[in-house]
Amino acid sequence: MEREEDTMVKKRTMPGSLGKYFIVFILPALIIYAVFCILPFIYTIYYSFTDYTDMNPANLKLVGFENYLKVFRTPLMLQGIKNSVIYAILLTGFQVILGLPLAAILNQKLRSRNVLRAVFFFPAVFSSLIVGYLWKYILSSAESGLINSMLVAMGFSPVNFFTSKIALYSIIATQIWQWTGWAMVIFLANLQSISEELYEAARIDGASSMKSFFGITLPLMCPSVKIVVVTGLIGGMKVFDSIYAMTGGGPGNATQTVMTIMMDKGISDGFYSTGAAFGVCFFIVVLIISALVNKLMLKWSRGIS
Amino acid sequence: MKKTKKKLMLVELFMVLLAIIWFIPIYYLIVTTLKSQQEATLNPLALPKKWEFSNYINAWVKMDFPRAFANTLIITVSAVLILVVVGTLAGYALARTKTRLSGIIFLLFLAGLIVPFQMNIISLYRIVKNLGIMNKLIAVILVDVAINTPQTIFLFKEFIDTSVPWELEEAAIVDGCSVPRRVFHVVFPLLKPVVSTTVIITTLNVWNEFMTPLLFLQSRSNNVILQEVSRNIGQFSTDWATMFPMLMLGVAPLMIFYIFMQKYIIGGVAAGAVKG
Repeated sequence: MEREEDTMVKKRTMPGSLGKYFIVFILPALIIYAVFCILPFIYTIYYSFTDYTDMNPANLKLVGFENYLKVFRTPLMLQGIKNSVIYAILLTGFQVILGLPLAAILNQKLRSRNVLRAVFFFPAVFSSLIVGYLWKYILSSAESGLINSMLVAMGFSPVNFFTSKIALYSIIATQIWQWTGWAMVIFLANLQSISEELYEAARIDGASSMKSFFGITLPLMCPSVKIVVVTGLIGGMKVFDSIYAMTGGGPGNATQTVMTIMMDKGISDGFYSTGAAFGVCFFIVVLIISALVNKLMLKWSRGIS
Repeated sequence: MKKTKKKLMLVELFMVLLAIIWFIPIYYLIVTTLKSQQEATLNPLALPKKWEFSNYINAWVKMDFPRAFANTLIITVSAVLILVVVGTLAGYALARTKTRLSGIIFLLFLAGLIVPFQMNIISLYRIVKNLGIMNKLIAVILVDVAINTPQTIFLFKEFIDTSVPWELEEAAIVDGCSVPRRVFHVVFPLLKPVVSTTVIITTLNVWNEFMTPLLFLQSRSNNVILQEVSRNIGQFSTDWATMFPMLMLGVAPLMIFYIFMQKYIIGGVAAGAVKG
């Protein structure tokens, strides 16, 4: 009898029990989100089909896919997408390749592990803009640049890290320094959730530590690898601050990315509708990447179980 | 056993060396701020012979640090507070209401996790202008809140779903507690972990956000620290004794925050990501 009453209370109060408060509670978040995320998204798509520029801000006419054709006919924009993709893939790849062993080692009983974790994570706290400025000094081709002064002191000739050929990779290297610790922290959280008993059992079966890393650890790391890969790729596609700080897109246009072009052409030069179309293309690339990663990860977790 | 211990010590030694190398750029930043330019180029990694604290005074004045700091602080504190409040309310409503409408609204918020707001800067610029908030701190606050809303609501909803037992609220209902009182007196005190995760993640995000102030704050009196640094770098880039302290002042607030809250920050970043 008592139990029945219990479930009745639940039925009456559980789902939908908030009444008008549901709307009242949702509304503040929804209004801000609608005005500054949903509305801009809809407008971006609309603008991408119009002739909106700084010279023509009112009386917009629909022009079909003209802006999209313009994006595909502008080598600079294609290069921006290419550079962003290279940046995203390399940065994310290194974050995983370096972050995983780093996390695995710092998950062992080292006396200094807390300090070590704190040091490796340190750069992730800073703004990428300031990290970019700092590395611009460190990598400077002038003899005063830290790395070049060290190279010269060791008898090598100085290297120009910002030529059109390698500037993008130099920037990526600095960002690997900044973000590997972030990946490590996420891998560590995942590692700590793996039961010690699994390793115990493997040890009894005579598995080496290498073997248990590949046999136990790696398969169970799927969730955190997915987070790092997805966040890293999407975040990498959006790169702006570090490029802005170190090269501003140069030399020439060698390090232009989606966002540096969007700021230059879309905002400063006033090609609003083409910029909007470029934004939509950018979004589609991000969608494709997310879908691909999801598919690959699904395969991975299925292949294991 | 002895062998593994020795191996572990070797590993530790290697990791300490690696950590020292990892730390060099930060160390370089710190020592260079206290040197004259000549000394900085001659002995880049040595400790300063004469500690030039006047470099900091110079940089402090030139970047109008107190004003830039105040603007950054106002933006960050407001955005984080708003996010905690709207995140709690919306997260609670979405966790405790299982209707089709709530499902759709939740999906709408989740979609924000894969739509980069940067694709919309052109229309965002126009909306901010039309709302009459261009060149006002509130523009950056609201946009930063909006772009951090999806993750925040996701974290709050997940946490309430998994860690706030409905039985507690049931007891409050029997006692005749109204919905708002239930949220603030019964649920909110239990949300400490997710509130701290949100505060940490969004503080880092908003404090380090450069694009939204760059887009929406034009006049110098409204500039944030990052804008002040990038404005000055054009002018003083060859003047190391001014520029390095500026970079340092740019990262110092978060550096101090990190040194004191290190454990919580690392924990918060991990918690926020594993669930997101």
